[in-house]
Amino acid sequence: MTPAISVTGLTRRYHGEVALDDVSLTVGAGTITGLLGRNGAGKTTLLRILAGQEFPSSGSVRVFGAAPAENEGVLRRLVLVREDQAYPDFKVCHALRAASFCYPNWDAGLASSLLKDYGVRAGKAIKGLSRGQRSALGITIGLAARAEVTLLDEPYAGLDAVARQVFYDRLLADFAAFPRTVLLSTHLIDEAAALFENVVVIDRGRVALDAAADGLRGMATTVSGPVLAVDSFTAGRPVWERRGLGSQASVVMVGQVSGEDRERARSLGLDLTPLSLQQLVVRASGQPAGAGSLTERTRA
Amino acid sequence: MNAMINVARYHLVQPALFVTLPLAMLAFVFAVNAARGGDTWRDGLAVIFLYFFIMGVQRAGGRWLPFGLALGATRRSFYAGTALLGVSMSFLYGLVIAGLQAIERATGGWGLSTTFFRVPYLLNGPWYATFLTSFAGLSALFVYGMWYGIVNRRWGMLGLLAFVAVQVPAGIAVAFARTWSGVGGPHPSLSALDLTGVIAALTVVILAGGHATIRRATV
Amino acid sequence: MPEMAGLDEGGPLFAQVAERLAGEIAAGGLAEGERVPSANELAAFYRINPATAAKGINVLADEGLLEKRRGIGMFVAAGARATLLARRRAEFTERYVRPLLTEAIRLGIDPGELVALVMESSGERGGVAV
Repeated sequence: MTPAISVTGLTRRYHGEVALDDVSLTVGAGTITGLLGRNGAGKTTLLRILAGQEFPSSGSVRVFGAAPAENEGVLRRLVLVREDQAYPDFKVCHALRAASFCYPNWDAGLASSLLKDYGVRAGKAIKGLSRGQRSALGITIGLAARAEVTLLDEPYAGLDAVARQVFYDRLLADFAAFPRTVLLSTHLIDEAAALFENVVVIDRGRVALDAAADGLRGMATTVSGPVLAVDSFTAGRPVWERRGLGSQASVVMVGQVSGEDRERARSLGLDLTPLSLQQLVVRASGQPAGAGSLTERTRA
Repeated sequence: MNAMINVARYHLVQPALFVTLPLAMLAFVFAVNAARGGDTWRDGLAVIFLYFFIMGVQRAGGRWLPFGLALGATRRSFYAGTALLGVSMSFLYGLVIAGLQAIERATGGWGLSTTFFRVPYLLNGPWYATFLTSFAGLSALFVYGMWYGIVNRRWGMLGLLAFVAVQVPAGIAVAFARTWSGVGGPHPSLSALDLTGVIAALTVVILAGGHATIRRATV
Repeated sequence: MPEMAGLDEGGPLFAQVAERLAGEIAAGGLAEGERVPSANELAAFYRINPATAAKGINVLADEGLLEKRRGIGMFVAAGARATLLARRRAEFTERYVRPLLTEAIRLGIDPGELVALVMESSGERGGVAV
């Protein structure tokens, strides 16, 4: 099956800086993929190029098999929600009306329900909205468009944790009822981790990691307790990090932990805590470009 | 085609800005002139021509562009749809001006022997000439404004300055030609209708220029 | 992290979903012939991706513990509970008895003492309910 998004060797330079460096990835249709990485890593540039709002310097970008730039056939089936979206000097209801002409799957009922959830009045002028309310408007347009490819670039600026949870819940619910391809860029990884089927980590313009989320879970564990016990337990196993204080040590050990391992750890008086997806991503972002260890293990 | 129409509909989500506002401005200027008195009020019409220029700048280069692209318009269809809207509005307002001019003449200057909808040489002939000249003039100004908006969007203030600077020699040449004709007024060998043709040709050139500029604009 | 109703980052989510469903079947919460929640329902409940939930369901279906009825959904297969209980009894020794012994040894409790402790506790509880 053709992937919904297919990027090969994408490079984007401006004014001598390289924002994206030889990026290649594919996103399967009907999946939710997390686009993760630090601020400034290149996630926004990638999303804007996918939406045809910016142009590649070199490489190929295909959405539904065709280049998105200046391509009506593709753009009609795609929506990008940007953190810094500019709106003309009009009201919320005008923005929604405009969106309703442009998106064939637009659902006005969903739009008004989302606005209600966020407490944004349709008759309010957009320039008078708070940051959180502007984000809510962006989320509303992004979800109600029901576009086959939905790109969300950190769409929750100004939304508190409760409001963000409403977004995740509404996204999941609508995705379950009307499947589509979603690429969600975020730096709040642990909050959204359970949504993702796949994750792509961008670090300094390059793909640092591209894997199934479930494949990553449990791949590294922090083993802590008495130094000797820790060393005995982790002997012969690959280790990423070792820290010690007096008679205690804490080691990040790579590899899935089995039932026997758990029992042995308990008998040694050791504590095992798996690394969260966020911690794994932070680790992936710290690697020099192309470093093997994390990427090797994650071909799913 | 559909995409262009969607762009036009997008611009018209607040129809008042295209319909009610210019008419209201016209009415306001008319009223101000009426209060002031005098018998030739031609400068009043300039207001609406200026408004069309400003609309062009705003609609093509203002925040209508980034949101339009966000909604999935291509730059090509956004440009064409906006220009189409501007030209259509120019057509309508051309009719309005010609119509109001006819009424003005029929009522002997609104019963006050004055002229508002008349500009010597340019808007002084038969109704169809007035209509064509207004239509061409408003369209030209709208798309010219669009070009300014797009240059600003693409290259910022520096670009705008360069854009203006490049046009200065052409402007000087025109002024020179006029003074050399010895009159400093209308060109003696060009009728109003001929001038309208020149304006229409210029409009086409501007359209091509604006389109070329928007093609690689980013928002 | 939003409470994923008890799921954690310790291993693949789909496996945890499968484990919980199996647990419900073993405990009798989901009877044979009863409809199992759909992938979408599980996804909404756990706040996870529906594809992940579907994968968990498929794990059990592949093991013959669930059967699909076209157009209606997934149902607990006949004999599923028996299969799971047998499996769990076998795992019981691995999972519970041996760690118990290990911990007892660590604390210096010999097997004889351990048995006495077990009897005492079961007496207190007045027998064990299943």
